[in-house]
Amino acid sequence: MPPTGSGEQLRARVQSLIDSNRVVVFSKSYCPYCVKVKDLFKTLNVEINSIELDLMDEGPNFQAVLMEMTGQKTVPNVFVNKTHIGGCDKTMQAHDDGVLQRLLGICTESYDYDLIVIGGGSGGLACSKEAASLGKKVMVLDYVVPTPKGTKWGLGGTCVNVGCIPKKLMHQAATLGMSLKDSKNFGWEYEDKVTHNWSTMKDAISNYIGSLNWGYRVELRNKNVAYLNSYAEFVEPHKIKATNARGKEIFHTAATFVLATGERPRYLGIPGDKEYCITSDDLFYLSYCPGKTLVVGASYVALECAGFLAGLGLDVTVMVRSILLRGFDQEMAEKAGAYMEEHGVKFIRKFVPIKVEQLEEGTPGRLKVTAKSTESNEVIEGEYNTVLIAVGRDACTRKIGLDKVGVQINEKNGKIPVNDEEQTNVPYIYAIGDILDGKLELTPVAIQAGKLLARRLFGGSSVKCDYINVCTTVFTPLEYGCCGLSEEKAIELFGEENIEVYHSLFWPLEYTVAGRDHNKCYSKIICNKMDNERVVGFHYLGPNAGEVTQGYGAAIKCGLTKELLETTIGIHPTCAEIFTTLSVTKRSGADISQRGC
Amino acid sequence: MVLGKFSYRKCFQRSSPEKSCVGAGGCKMTLRILFRRAKVLPLRILPSSLHFSCVSAVLSRSPSLLHPYLTGRHQPFSISSTRWVTFSIQDGEDFSERVLNSQLPVLVDFHAQWCGPCKILGPRLEKMVAKQNGKVTMAKVDIDDHTDLAIEYGVSAVPTVLAVKNGNVIDKFVGIKDEDQLDAFIRKLIGP
Repeated sequence: MPPTGSGEQLRARVQSLIDSNRVVVFSKSYCPYCVKVKDLFKTLNVEINSIELDLMDEGPNFQAVLMEMTGQKTVPNVFVNKTHIGGCDKTMQAHDDGVLQRLLGICTESYDYDLIVIGGGSGGLACSKEAASLGKKVMVLDYVVPTPKGTKWGLGGTCVNVGCIPKKLMHQAATLGMSLKDSKNFGWEYEDKVTHNWSTMKDAISNYIGSLNWGYRVELRNKNVAYLNSYAEFVEPHKIKATNARGKEIFHTAATFVLATGERPRYLGIPGDKEYCITSDDLFYLSYCPGKTLVVGASYVALECAGFLAGLGLDVTVMVRSILLRGFDQEMAEKAGAYMEEHGVKFIRKFVPIKVEQLEEGTPGRLKVTAKSTESNEVIEGEYNTVLIAVGRDACTRKIGLDKVGVQINEKNGKIPVNDEEQTNVPYIYAIGDILDGKLELTPVAIQAGKLLARRLFGGSSVKCDYINVCTTVFTPLEYGCCGLSEEKAIELFGEENIEVYHSLFWPLEYTVAGRDHNKCYSKIICNKMDNERVVGFHYLGPNAGEVTQGYGAAIKCGLTKELLETTIGIHPTCAEIFTTLSVTKRSGADISQRGC
Repeated sequence: MVLGKFSYRKCFQRSSPEKSCVGAGGCKMTLRILFRRAKVLPLRILPSSLHFSCVSAVLSRSPSLLHPYLTGRHQPFSISSTRWVTFSIQDGEDFSERVLNSQLPVLVDFHAQWCGPCKILGPRLEKMVAKQNGKVTMAKVDIDDHTDLAIEYGVSAVPTVLAVKNGNVIDKFVGIKDEDQLDAFIRKLIGP
């Protein structure tokens, strides 16, 4: 490596070469691959600036700078119109895919659209609208394959139709039930008979969602995005087939594609699952109250659904194969689960269903579930009105013709690996949202990634989506908000001795008069001792977790440290203020229960 | 509570629809369906090149339409009962024929199942139209069933009501109106 000073200068020189030439090929005079690339540009009749690194003294230094800039040390290293293409294979591929021609502005082939987005969920809509507002001709295709029970819905994707929106509204319905109980201690007097009407709730939520679906459709019209309610699959490079509900097929081509197909709930693959069980795709549109319910799984979807169903007064059991909320901080997950258990949700641990049989048809009917222990040969049976499967979700990537265009997927989970610019292995095809391999499955992440992708593709931007320190909240009965690392992950990354965990139980003021849940709410931050006690993990279990976590998320983005938290003056009396006064370290083992103000 | 309910006049995107729902009578609905099926028959009997493809398409979907007692009601003018003045649009072709090519002025009520205010305005409009002694008809368009039509006619919020005369949109309103306002709107459409 050259010394830093000259390194900066070198970097500037390399950058200016890239910026001031239509095509730059960093090459070595004897390299056959370099010759091949140069020949390609010759056939395209494009003038290039070829830098022969082996014929100049600074060659190795140039190569080191290029390595730093592009992660590529080999030659040829090709840049077209300031965009890094890569080596020989990448350049040939870019030529085959038409990306090179597009960058050179010598596109001979004309496509119907500049961009086709497959999937009308949060990510796809955000990306398409942004691209259209940048003056591009854009089409979105969206098609909801009905569930085995026949449930289907409108434009907007999982979050709007069968995820965040109905979930939080049903959680709110349950929370109101709890408030109703609390209200007696605050002097409200009412007849003791309080009932909940599922249909009223369901209809009101469906109607709201209907208005959202329409709103999305109108936004697409207003932004001049073409919309097709059709199932899209690739048939050849740059070309898709769109099949509508009546089976009518039409073909469309585009220069660039964005995959945003999302995920659908996974089934168990046991007798009776698709015939008799429902998933979260059905629950929110169920025309009848589900009654006594078995929730299979311990994903956040499982715990949220179990939580609000129990909150509506139903008899709910959760069957867990191993741990709660995989991927989340396990201390928090267990506390959220324990609270549910104290509030009437039953947990069957280390069992998996092996068979579901129908005892009686009806709305709801009666089902018999047979389950087997994961540790022994013990088999148990149980009778429920509804069985809700929430054991994970599968990416919708296997039936959209990706094999026809050569997009690689992770065969294990069907997810799509992308680089840090959401580009798949096929340069003109990008992917965003829940189908990305190893990325976060959150609506706002998909929206951000989609928007930024459109700006990079069509707006000359270079801003990439930052997937680090994204806040999220699990709407279990006692809500759990977090940002950054789990304690387990922090220990793995920094070592147990290098982190400090500050924590405290707390009792929301609202709970005191209501006389409930003393010392159940919990707050915890994880600090990196090697970095000025920077907050690397934030965890909150208590009311309004989303509202509390969002603000601290911004602070964490700004580099929040324990010291900065201490200099922050809290708002009294709130739950969020607990983070400004955390003083007990987990290491000390000191008492963290709270009394009074 | 009451105040909140009445201040809510229409369903914009992302706004919560009014919960109360005053639905249209079920029996009326059945009659309307019969009527709308009836209309295709005369077209078959008197085929015009313009409509022939549409007719065959509809007929192939619903062979039961050939029932003889349904013949004869091929024009709004021949309808004696005011109940027939309101009809639901089936598709784009149907819209062209019964709204754009109508010899009578037409009110087009773009509505949605999820829209509370629509359920108040719909029956009110029907009542007002029925009072006009056949001088005006009303087409109901469910925006979720006929999204393309609603998009084409620039509907952003429901209810949206268009006044169409000789195939042209000459007036429009969005949201709920009271009977007097509706009366004025309809009179303006019918003209002197």
